[in-house]
Amino acid sequence: MKPVYLAGRGLACALGLDVQASLAALRQGGTATSSYSLPGALGGSFPYHAIPFPRTDWNERARTLVLGVAAEAGAQQIRSGVLFIATSSFDIGGVEQGTAQMDYSAFSDKIAAWLEWSGPVYVINTACTSSLNALIAAQAMLNAGEAEDALVLGFELDNQLTMGGFASLQLLSTGSSKPFGANRDGLVLGEAVAALRLSTHGPAQWKMLGGANVVDGSQPTGASAAAVVSMYQRALEVSDLTADAIDVIKVQAAGSPGNDAVEAQGLREAFSKIPSLVSLKAAMGHTMGASGVAEIALLTACLEQGAWPTYEAEADTELGVTLATAAPDRARHVLATILGFGGSHASVILERT
Amino acid sequence: MKTFAISGRCIAAPPPADWREQLAQMLGAKPRRIGIWAELGLYGALRCMADAGEKTLPPEAQIWLGSRRGTYAATDIVLEQLREDLPMPMAFLQTQPSQLLALLAAQADWKGHACFVAGAEPQALLRLAAAQAGKDGVLLGWLDEMDGGMSNWLRLRPCEDVAGSYHVASAGALFSTQISHLRLANTGLEVRPVA
Repeated sequence: MKPVYLAGRGLACALGLDVQASLAALRQGGTATSSYSLPGALGGSFPYHAIPFPRTDWNERARTLVLGVAAEAGAQQIRSGVLFIATSSFDIGGVEQGTAQMDYSAFSDKIAAWLEWSGPVYVINTACTSSLNALIAAQAMLNAGEAEDALVLGFELDNQLTMGGFASLQLLSTGSSKPFGANRDGLVLGEAVAALRLSTHGPAQWKMLGGANVVDGSQPTGASAAAVVSMYQRALEVSDLTADAIDVIKVQAAGSPGNDAVEAQGLREAFSKIPSLVSLKAAMGHTMGASGVAEIALLTACLEQGAWPTYEAEADTELGVTLATAAPDRARHVLATILGFGGSHASVILERT
Repeated sequence: MKTFAISGRCIAAPPPADWREQLAQMLGAKPRRIGIWAELGLYGALRCMADAGEKTLPPEAQIWLGSRRGTYAATDIVLEQLREDLPMPMAFLQTQPSQLLALLAAQADWKGHACFVAGAEPQALLRLAAAQAGKDGVLLGWLDEMDGGMSNWLRLRPCEDVAGSYHVASAGALFSTQISHLRLANTGLEVRPVA
């Protein structure tokens, strides 16, 4: 089985249009949210982490952002490799503008054409866990020798369907995201386009050891503690690690009253000594299908360059877990989790080489 | 290269006229507010599992689902609702193709790896599934509610290769009832006819 390295990364999110700009904004305590207006009695104005790039033509904006993060990740070196596009909303924002059609093949063909991609293209949609599942799939293909390079592109841009759907389910905060916070009252969504370039050609600073996805249908819109524990156990098993080897966990912790508590319960059950916990949701929002790769792009940069998010919200002491206030001295093994719609619970484990 | 034996299948393209009645019988009740996409998917998946003699899946099995158009109809409805108001919560959930995976997991009382792949050819779906499949194999489905509907499913279990008995086949042969085994070679799909 060939090792798989994280050979490049690119990120455009509310914090900035590339990794360094995002890191700089994170060091400054983040950026202000914009607001998103929705119609109807349950609608109104909701905070939103928009990418600071002018909203004109939806497709042109998407093309510019995709090309930017792909170039930052070094995608031009691997256009005959495998491209994974991970998204929960495809180009529905373009459909809403009347500039795209609801057609999966047209969507993937469009992005492949932007990137001048000549290799195979796969589009993964498992809602919020899409890009972690794309990473897991990409690693499997590279491990199996079916390809030597892959680009995993997380893609989640402004659209009313997602915002309206989450608002209708009353999952959105009207204030701010408070990960593991005492007064957490819901999610703040955001945009991100992010890319991780995987390669069997090392060395690189990070190696992907493995990952796991556990679908549990008992809670269609939320997480289950049993599935969280199973997810950790399976990810550790395929990575040939034990729980005490994990130094940092990037948690989901999106500020949901229910899901944060379930995730905390899973952490307590799976880890006798809780590793350093970090959440990036308050800084960049919950970027849905892109969140897995977007948060890994930012977190690996944080760990390499000594940056760390700050949390303004008062912690919920009843959860029995707390977010670390500074980067740990040692961060060799990092576990990154996303929990999502459709009862999907996904984690991947990275090793700093 | 992994070789799979087909231990169960449901080929419904289009589904039979009474597929909803059959689904209600399998579930023990008529499904409510999950949408046609999920109903059609459950119908095919449960039929396939029954054909394989399974009421649930082993823990290490995986579910791989693909579609060209996905939840097109449900998405169209929600976009229309959004012109004046928020969508109905259940209507929004019906726009998420991966909701079917959760519903199927719940129905089978199973927890495990399940993934939706959009717009790929069925053969591409098989390639992804084969790269990750473990000892308990895959439940692989191809679903579309448009153009009369399609809910094709295969229960695939890894097996030993039998040399010399496979031939190269077109992608369309994946859901043929005339094959008992299949594998993906560099040249494409190879199948072994039913003996």
